[in-house]
Amino acid sequence: MRSRLPTLAWLALRNLGREMRRAALTAAAMAIGLALLIVSRTLSDGAHEDWIDSGVRLGSGHVVFNAPGYRDSESLEDRLSEDQVEAAFAAVEGAGLPEAVLTSVRVSARGLASSPDGAIPAWILGVDPAAELPFSRLGTDVLEGRYLEERDRLHAFIGQGMALRLGLRIGSRMVLTAQAASGDIEGQLVRVVGMFRTSVPEMDDVLVHIPLGTARDWLGVEGATSVATLLPHSTFTGQVHQAAAAAVQSSGVEVTPWEEASPELYSAVRIDDAGDWAFHLILFAIVALAILNAVFMSVLHRKRELGLLRALGLSSRQTGLVVFLEGVLVTAASGVIGVALGFALVWIFFRNGLDLTGLMPEDLSFAGIVFNPVMYPVIDVRHLTQSLFFIAVIGVSASVFPAWQAAALDPAESVKVE
Amino acid sequence: MRTEHLWKIYPQDPRPVEAVRGVDLTVWRGEFVAMAGPSGSGKTTMLNLVGGLTRPTRGKVWIEGEEISALSDRRLADLRMHRIGFVFQSYNLLPVLSALENAEFTLLLQGVPAAERRGRVRELFREIGLEGLEDRRPPKLSGGQQQRVAVARAVLGDPALVLADEPTANLDSHTAEALLDVMERLNRTKGTTFVFSTHDPRVMERARRLIRLVDGQIESDHAESG
Repeated sequence: MRSRLPTLAWLALRNLGREMRRAALTAAAMAIGLALLIVSRTLSDGAHEDWIDSGVRLGSGHVVFNAPGYRDSESLEDRLSEDQVEAAFAAVEGAGLPEAVLTSVRVSARGLASSPDGAIPAWILGVDPAAELPFSRLGTDVLEGRYLEERDRLHAFIGQGMALRLGLRIGSRMVLTAQAASGDIEGQLVRVVGMFRTSVPEMDDVLVHIPLGTARDWLGVEGATSVATLLPHSTFTGQVHQAAAAAVQSSGVEVTPWEEASPELYSAVRIDDAGDWAFHLILFAIVALAILNAVFMSVLHRKRELGLLRALGLSSRQTGLVVFLEGVLVTAASGVIGVALGFALVWIFFRNGLDLTGLMPEDLSFAGIVFNPVMYPVIDVRHLTQSLFFIAVIGVSASVFPAWQAAALDPAESVKVE
Repeated sequence: MRTEHLWKIYPQDPRPVEAVRGVDLTVWRGEFVAMAGPSGSGKTTMLNLVGGLTRPTRGKVWIEGEEISALSDRRLADLRMHRIGFVFQSYNLLPVLSALENAEFTLLLQGVPAAERRGRVRELFREIGLEGLEDRRPPKLSGGQQQRVAVARAVLGDPALVLADEPTANLDSHTAEALLDVMERLNRTKGTTFVFSTHDPRVMERARRLIRLVDGQIESDHAESG
């Protein structure tokens, strides 16, 4: 059997050559299906990475360091000491990432923001402006005024929603009130230097950035409530989380990946991923039917020929193998063409993105993230390998039934067929 | 080739069809035998049984001393490849292959090296008037040329037996005579055993042994003297 494999493969190739039009149509259907799969997969991965990036920048980063219990209590009592903050920095540096990691030390408090027009709930975040600017990027697209600077002390950078609700403008004064580390309710007067707009209401209406030093002095804390880290790509999360958790274990610091820190975001990505798989299953089914139809029809049209092969000395298994190899060859050829076509399309989208502006409402947000209507592909080797593997398995599986049919033909009956 | 009490019954409604009924037959090496009989007399079924394309309901078949009716599918395939050549009535060739590739197909399966295969095919093509047609695909060959390629394929593997099922049925008189000339010559020069099923009086005239089948049984079996 083994020594005849090249002969059978040669015969399968010649058979495909005869039915070139049918083989080409089948291969084209598969190649286009595969190309669409690659484009869809890379665009989905790109969109998901975009969502994650957007969510973790405005939230707690890809990996966040807190004191134990802080995530539940959000109390200043459960804060990191200065030594623990240093330990967190050292843990990130020791994670051995090839690319730069952004780190932001934050003091966070829930409280009230008030002006002569009223008072509303506020999420007050004391930040180091130089570290926070590239992290959250809130300061890179300022709606009005400017972002915080190193020399600022009693200044605040607020969302447009808050400004509207409290009747604030650039230069307006507002009072922030929160519970300090001592347990007392303390107020802090600040002046608005700039405003942002993210289109995420839970950010625009409540978030206030003030200088880290001001927050520490006002709330009576020396360390921080969190150290947020932004990684070059979300796929590094597991590696950094694992390494950092091991590094800070003795320091009593809790390390949380974004999937746990932002469960809504994680759910959104998972749900969308499940939808993508459903779409991919439909594509897989189309590909499987295309191969099954083409190879099966060719068996029905060639009964006499297959009977002749049996008469000439092929066993039933070898006759089935010829038909099976035809399916495998079509799958392989369409795989190569589909991958080339898919990556050509991906390359176009790399340059220009896929603009869905016309299909989406403006400022669409969900789970604390803003949907970018222009999707850019991201090549996730694991996902692409999975897709290619499934296509190969489907192509091969869809060839099994016609091959079995060919093997089961009665040679004496088949050679009679006119 | 020998058969002993050979039966083939096809299960069919309302009652089974007895295509071959207890045939005892021996064909010796180098014979040129025609099995004649009306349609439904069991000629083709006999060839299929002897060629291992179908299994007997009862009885046994020996090819060169080996009993084949109980062989596995794979062993039967090997037997067909090495010891039996087939020529059918029509559509005998693989349409994706050239005349030369069709003729050498059995040798290819047998693992004969390419140079030797090609040499043997070209020599036989010269002998049977197919020279120059090596690269033609079946649709570009006449009916007679196609049958000659099929005969070439059947004899090139040096089989013990060539089974030809109505090989002249679709040929005009002149082409049929030419094809029979070729087979007769191969029988004489190479000693290849030929067994035909036929309605064709020209084949019956050329055969040196004529077996008449009626209703799945041998009615008469005459060998020419000398």
